[in-house]
Amino acid sequence: MGKRFTTLAGAVALSLTLLNGAANAADPEHGKLVFGQCAGCHMVGDGAQHRFGPSLNAMLDQPAGSATGYDYSAALQKAADEGLVWDVETLDEFLQAPMQSMPGTRMAYPGLNSETDRIDVIAYLSTFTSQAATSAESEQAKSTEVEERPLAADAELPSHGVLHIGREATPDEITAWDIDVRPDGTGLPAGSGSAIDGTDLYDSQCAACHGVFGEGEGRWPILAGGLDTLTEERPEKTIGSYWPYLSTVYDYVRRAMPFGNARSLSDDDVYAITAYLLYLNDLVDEDFVLSSENFSEIRLPNENNFIEDDRALEPAFVAIAEPCMSDCIEGEAKITQRARILDVTPDAE
Amino acid sequence: MMKKDNFQPARRRWLKRSLTVGGAAAGVATGATALASGSESLITEVQDWNRYLGDGVDANPYGMPSKFEGEAIRRDVAWLTADAKSSVNFTPLHKLEGIITPNGLCFERHHGGIAQIAPEDHRFMINGLVDTPLVFTMEDLKRFPRHNRTYFLECAANSGMEWRGAQLNGCQFTHGMVHNVMYTGVMLKDILAEAGVKASGKWLLPEGADPSHMTRSIPIEKAMDDCMVVFAMNGEALRPEQGYPLRLVVPGWEGNMWVKWLRRIEIGDQPWHHREETSKYTDLLADGRARRFTWTMDIKSVITNPSPQAPINHGRGRTVLSGLAWSGHGTVSRVDVSIDGGRNWHTARIDGPSLSKSVHRFYYEFDWDGRELFLQSRAIDEKRHIQPTKQALREARGENSIYHNNAIQTWYIAKDGTAENVEIS
Ligand code: HEC
Ligand code: HEC
Repeated sequence: MGKRFTTLAGAVALSLTLLNGAANAADPEHGKLVFGQCAGCHMVGDGAQHRFGPSLNAMLDQPAGSATGYDYSAALQKAADEGLVWDVETLDEFLQAPMQSMPGTRMAYPGLNSETDRIDVIAYLSTFTSQAATSAESEQAKSTEVEERPLAADAELPSHGVLHIGREATPDEITAWDIDVRPDGTGLPAGSGSAIDGTDLYDSQCAACHGVFGEGEGRWPILAGGLDTLTEERPEKTIGSYWPYLSTVYDYVRRAMPFGNARSLSDDDVYAITAYLLYLNDLVDEDFVLSSENFSEIRLPNENNFIEDDRALEPAFVAIAEPCMSDCIEGEAKITQRARILDVTPDAE
Repeated sequence: MMKKDNFQPARRRWLKRSLTVGGAAAGVATGATALASGSESLITEVQDWNRYLGDGVDANPYGMPSKFEGEAIRRDVAWLTADAKSSVNFTPLHKLEGIITPNGLCFERHHGGIAQIAPEDHRFMINGLVDTPLVFTMEDLKRFPRHNRTYFLECAANSGMEWRGAQLNGCQFTHGMVHNVMYTGVMLKDILAEAGVKASGKWLLPEGADPSHMTRSIPIEKAMDDCMVVFAMNGEALRPEQGYPLRLVVPGWEGNMWVKWLRRIEIGDQPWHHREETSKYTDLLADGRARRFTWTMDIKSVITNPSPQAPINHGRGRTVLSGLAWSGHGTVSRVDVSIDGGRNWHTARIDGPSLSKSVHRFYYEFDWDGRELFLQSRAIDEKRHIQPTKQALREARGENSIYHNNAIQTWYIAKDGTAENVEIS
């Protein structure tokens, strides 16, 4: 491990333990992108606060669990008491599989498989030990080489279209981007997954935000329950109570979740998680297996309660000849409700 | 819990100042003293800025607003969402003039943070029911005929917090999920013509390149009518938070459909019913049914000054009331203003360009006698749609629709000039 660290340059490297081996430099720029996976739970930089996880500023070469004001799990506390210090090596091991390397940690995150990703994200985190490191990072000389420009007349005109602009997309490119799924099953990849497999995936990759039962932690979205609440004062709109089509679940989870690590799930993983979300909504049994074969047979309970836009039929829309201009309402205006009573407006400063 | 005082910074400053100056002129900040003669030292004494040199032309390669305009900023409501990367902030409507929203003040709504994409790394694909699926670079797109159009973009959830009653004290928060921008780009129909849409192609699915991979279904008629693919706003490249380098413009329709970081449009024969048109952006009615595909943003207006964040500071006398009106159905033909809570109405003066599906600026000048006021505005569009009352909307839809609240807003003006979001009978 740690090969990529040897050539890590300047201030960034100061606080890092240099390890054996040779190869590429650690790349904090790339690490910043990888950190996108962590950013749902951790903040770094100016004004970083604790969120679901502690702020990760100035954490390198410090004892684990030393962010003030953050309430660590017993597991992390214990590791800290036993002398765990976060350096490149310990972080590398922890980030590979947090829940295995520290059973009982609250960091419900499966880990970074790629060593490059781990080293780069550590390099990125190390830039938050001192201000100098961050500014050094941005000073990169631009290449001044002059490119030779092809002659305009040599350019080939494509045959398609009217203006002949653009080029034909390759089948591989279309497959890479065209992942959308429709209610009739168009776009579903071949494959399958069981609610049982979905349990583990969900617990490790989704539950931290959406809750173990899909009830939603804090203000994160709720995914299950809420049946028969749509006419109540506070309706709970979930996959089971509101969503019309199962294809939407598959499509959305595959394109956008887990938050901060989109497109990381395999097609079968998404089948398994979708099956488990059906189970959490009491729509299938725990031994249910969802596949491209049986997908279209599954109907969600609220499918028939969606109607097309008929706003134009509302009384307010049916054009009134001429709106009233004077003496329109009898008596003086009286306040019936004030925003100040609720006072939910944020601070304007 | 916040204190109401936070909303009258201008007023507090005023009170402080009027102690020293005695109520002559509203203005900013510092060191003014009134002499016994009634003269102001600001005039009778040479000020620092009269004497010492200011910054040179090399100080600000990209200019910023005056340091005295610190109040004109986007603000968010932290408790609304779990994470700032999937959240929204609001345009400071009370600080704007005219019809154009400056780029740095356009409200933001992201579902996976702001993607940073180098234009040379951006690709735009058209695929699905077309003769030739195509890939374009940003340079390719700039070779189509270019058009400049000014449109409002309103989030369908604008004013969504107000369905159940007056909640947020300031037009920035009640109405600030709208902005109005002049876009430069190309007509979507010109791009589609390059790929050749098949006769069976009835729907489009635009998709973003950000981590939410935003998608919405759009009928082909709209695409062929006035949709644009744009790369510039108000004369400069799109801002990253508005989809740099490429976004879709869907004039008059829900902001959510204006996909940012646009990387692909697929043509199909049916809608896709994706998350943002099922779980979200469907309007739940009182009987438990929900409307879907409610695309058009209806006629709407709001008085921006005075309003809770912009109270009347000058005492009684000549008062300029100002506001914004817009409709997804076309131009705004008229705005009426009431100062007595809808008993009597006065037709306001629309000033500046009147463009289809663009914000209109209106004014109503009157002499305030210092009594309590209930300010309302009621807009009418070219198709004769009249902005409804809150009561009419609630009777038709209940209180759980979240989206498409275009009701008439009431500001209460107290005798001291402060303003408050209220509901009245
Ligand atoms: C699902 C939320 C979540 C995600 C995603 C996440 N973490 Fe954590 N992380 C936590 C929590 C919660 C803790 C506190 C653990 C405990 O108390 O057991 C933590 C602790 C840590 C610690 C120890 C901090 C200390 O002060 O001792 C480090 C380092 C860390 N995370 C790094 C990362 C990195 C790097 C990533 C991304 C590759 C990441 N985390 C992704 C939630 C998360
Ligand atoms: C770090 C927190 C986090 C994690 C982990 C996470 N999500 Fe989400 N999820 C969100 C947020 C935030 C949204 C709303 C995004 C938006 O604004 O569009 C969301 C939205 C959703 C929705 C749509 C909810 C609705 O009502 O429309 C589904 C379904 C979903 N997530 C499933 C999952 C699944 C499955 C996983 C695990 C593979 C997962 N999420 C992991 C934060 C998270």
